[in-house]
Amino acid sequence: MRIPRLSFSAPAIAGALVAVIAGLLVLYPVAYLLQAALNVGDPEARPPTEYGFENFAGLLNYPQIILNTLTVSVAAAAMALVFGFLMAWILTRANVPGRRFFEQAMVVPYYLTPLLGALAWSLLGTPESGFLNQVYRALGGSDYLININSAYGIAWVMALFEGSVAFVMIGAVMKSMDPALEEASQVMGASRWRTMLRVTLPLVLPGVLGAAVFVFAEMLGSFAAALVLGLPDRYYVVTTAIYQLTQQYPPKIPLAAAMGTSLFVVMFVTLFIYRRIITAGSYVTITGKAFRPRVNDVGRLRWLLLSVCVFYLVCSVVLPLLTLLYASIQKISTAFPAASNFTTEHFYKAFTMNAATTALGNSLWLGFWTATLGVTLMGLISWIIYRSRLPGSNIIEYIVMFPQSVPRLIFAFGMMWAWLIFPIPIYGTLWLLLIAYLTVFLPLGVRTISGVMLQIDKSLEECAQMCGAGWGYRIRTVTVPLLWPGLIAAWLLLFVASIRELGASILLMGPHSKVITPSIVESWFASSTELTAAMALIQTLVVAIAVSILLAVTRRATAHITD
Amino acid sequence: MAETARKPHIEVKDLHIHYGEVPAVRGVSFDVAPGEQLTLLGPSGCGKTTTLRAIAGLEQPSAGDIRIAGAPVYSSASRVNIPAEKRGLSMVFQSYAIWPHMTVFENVAYGLRVRRESAAQIAEKVDRALDMVQMRPYRDRGASQLSGGQQQRVALARAFVFQPSVLLFDEPLSNLDAKLRADMRIELRELQHRLGITSVYVTHDLEEALAMSDRIIVMRDGLIEQIGSPFDIYNHPRNAFVADFVGSANLIRGWHRADLDEDGLIALEGPGGTVYGMAHGRPVGDALTFSVRTVHFSLSVQKPMSERNVWPVCVERSVFQGDFTQMNVAWGDQRLTIRGTMEPLPEGSDAWLTVDPKRVVLLEE
Repeated sequence: MRIPRLSFSAPAIAGALVAVIAGLLVLYPVAYLLQAALNVGDPEARPPTEYGFENFAGLLNYPQIILNTLTVSVAAAAMALVFGFLMAWILTRANVPGRRFFEQAMVVPYYLTPLLGALAWSLLGTPESGFLNQVYRALGGSDYLININSAYGIAWVMALFEGSVAFVMIGAVMKSMDPALEEASQVMGASRWRTMLRVTLPLVLPGVLGAAVFVFAEMLGSFAAALVLGLPDRYYVVTTAIYQLTQQYPPKIPLAAAMGTSLFVVMFVTLFIYRRIITAGSYVTITGKAFRPRVNDVGRLRWLLLSVCVFYLVCSVVLPLLTLLYASIQKISTAFPAASNFTTEHFYKAFTMNAATTALGNSLWLGFWTATLGVTLMGLISWIIYRSRLPGSNIIEYIVMFPQSVPRLIFAFGMMWAWLIFPIPIYGTLWLLLIAYLTVFLPLGVRTISGVMLQIDKSLEECAQMCGAGWGYRIRTVTVPLLWPGLIAAWLLLFVASIRELGASILLMGPHSKVITPSIVESWFASSTELTAAMALIQTLVVAIAVSILLAVTRRATAHITD
Repeated sequence: MAETARKPHIEVKDLHIHYGEVPAVRGVSFDVAPGEQLTLLGPSGCGKTTTLRAIAGLEQPSAGDIRIAGAPVYSSASRVNIPAEKRGLSMVFQSYAIWPHMTVFENVAYGLRVRRESAAQIAEKVDRALDMVQMRPYRDRGASQLSGGQQQRVALARAFVFQPSVLLFDEPLSNLDAKLRADMRIELRELQHRLGITSVYVTHDLEEALAMSDRIIVMRDGLIEQIGSPFDIYNHPRNAFVADFVGSANLIRGWHRADLDEDGLIALEGPGGTVYGMAHGRPVGDALTFSVRTVHFSLSVQKPMSERNVWPVCVERSVFQGDFTQMNVAWGDQRLTIRGTMEPLPEGSDAWLTVDPKRVVLLEE
């Protein structure tokens, strides 16, 4: 009888294969990004003829961009934190009417996307034609009330539409705090204020600080709002500057690459600090155990707190959607309604215009395949990282999670540069976009699937093995059926993420591979505002349908797990 | 010890297992005879489960040999590592590992389907197995609707239905409540005898180990402390760790009084007087430790008749605990614990303590 060798088993081969694929997807573009950043010879020559650090030194010639980026990021992070903290405290700790509703509504702005928010707020708040400013002037005001094209305007939109992560993080900290800690303080005779100051605040502080750092890093890499609101006034932050440098003629690729490299180094360091804060700073609050938070009776104050919630939802959901809807059904959008101005032609156009339908079709196709291939690939990766105990699986985890700390725009930049010289001509096709999506969404998919996988007792798979089932049979009969709700959730998340993707798509789509989100941006700058509004609403509707299926599925799945 | 004529079914030789840098098992060797029920007993972290999982093939050892029915399934020297599914073993998991997306029937049929048996055969074998664990009426239930005890029975049926050559048990009863555990213990023992399958059983529960096993291996820190029959392990613990872990024992330390040795008994000068005990062939040095089980002492108001091992003591504490009474007595400057069914003596009263020298066991240091 031939004796099998130690290591050549099916999971080991699959593991090696998947590791190589993930490594290629992630590291190949990063390598080319670095190569371009260090290229100081002829920018057209590939591979570069000379290497050096001059491109990084050249960044100092753009102090305005660095200043702009910091201004916008700090302002946006500060606003997001104030909102996040307030909302988290209100919704977990105060007896405000309708808390459950608001808590679920808090994720809606995130699904609406910063792009949609920026379009809507641009309609509302540009100095001359913004609806709010028109009304303000009609009421006798002079000049304008708000200027959404300013640094603080951009920061405002970012905070509203990308800041919900602050709420989620701070809310999690507040929920994971044992109410007995506060009760103990009160039993010892401390007043409510003293308890708040001496117990509650110190306990949640590390979590809040962590959220602050994390949100700041997010804002550094933010792209859509700065693009839509900053470009008209030539107000550039680092991401939009990189975009501009690659799109202008002649492009300044090495400079853009140096800018991108610096940005992701800064983000990497920031996220490292975040991890340090979270692991070192948190006391006993994060035990992984969920407590029923103690709800304070805030008396009359609760109506004020309720109005804060309502204000937030109006600014981030109701007003933007109504604005877009209102603009999309007018011939020429203005703040004041007139029957003669009403039309449905923009929706008709959006559904018939070749460019729009092709882009939407392409996006749906990409969404479908990104989700389908992604779930397979990311499911395998999750299994290898968390189940196989193959040597090197933690290295795979690092590689796979890497795209998280790189803005998608910069990743796409590396990819553009990498695949341009790839022997198979996929540049400018949907295939490149598919590869890009599969790469940048690796962390999202792996995290979603592994979250469910870790809840499944490992012995369920081991037992199948002990019953004599081989690897493939095991995966098919035990792992996949148990993982099914998680896989469907991941599929829908990937689908939604693909449909609304902007940062990577805008650099990588070619004239024959248009997708919906960058097309919306193009339409905004090149053709009519009203048509753009209609397109954005259609995209939102597609996303909304997918999200409601997602919610229904996850609710069914959690009900299944808890019974 | 009598050698078994038949070849051992499982042979484990010099097994080493590491978790990263941390050694979990540090050189363990033992055999299991065909049809024998062997138990690995020890506190958590002693390496017993790791050893079991290495036999199963779920854990890769760093060195050693494992043979099943004479054929190597793992050998570091000749680089053999047969995957778990090809070793022909079966296992009952601590968490039962009942697949929630299958019915009871499908759970039990799994191993037969893997082996591509015919539908008729599968139905017949599953029904017979379910009968043996009295779960036939639940055949078509969803597995998630079962109670803990029922899941345990299904897990058991699933484990033996395809007639594996070895059954491995990883603390299968630890998730059941105390009363159910006592019942299942007996049922499991009977079933094991009826099936006659070689089995290795892991537990940290002493009573379970004593009741279930032909032989027990006591482990600590990745090493074997003692191998023996339940009777042997309980009555002749090899060292202080085994004496203490396997039941409750009093350890008495003192000096050897060779001048007083008589009738094959060893004399020790302890804190409260001279104690006679048995050496069981263990080396007798100058400093000795005796072990006496708490239940082997007896306490009386009147002086007993025996000549050896009788001492006057003072009752310090006396606690009635239902099934037994626990009393602490001062014996010189040492405090001894006595358990028995006697009526509690009043605290502070004087009494006589005695123990049969055969129950006093010399320990290895």
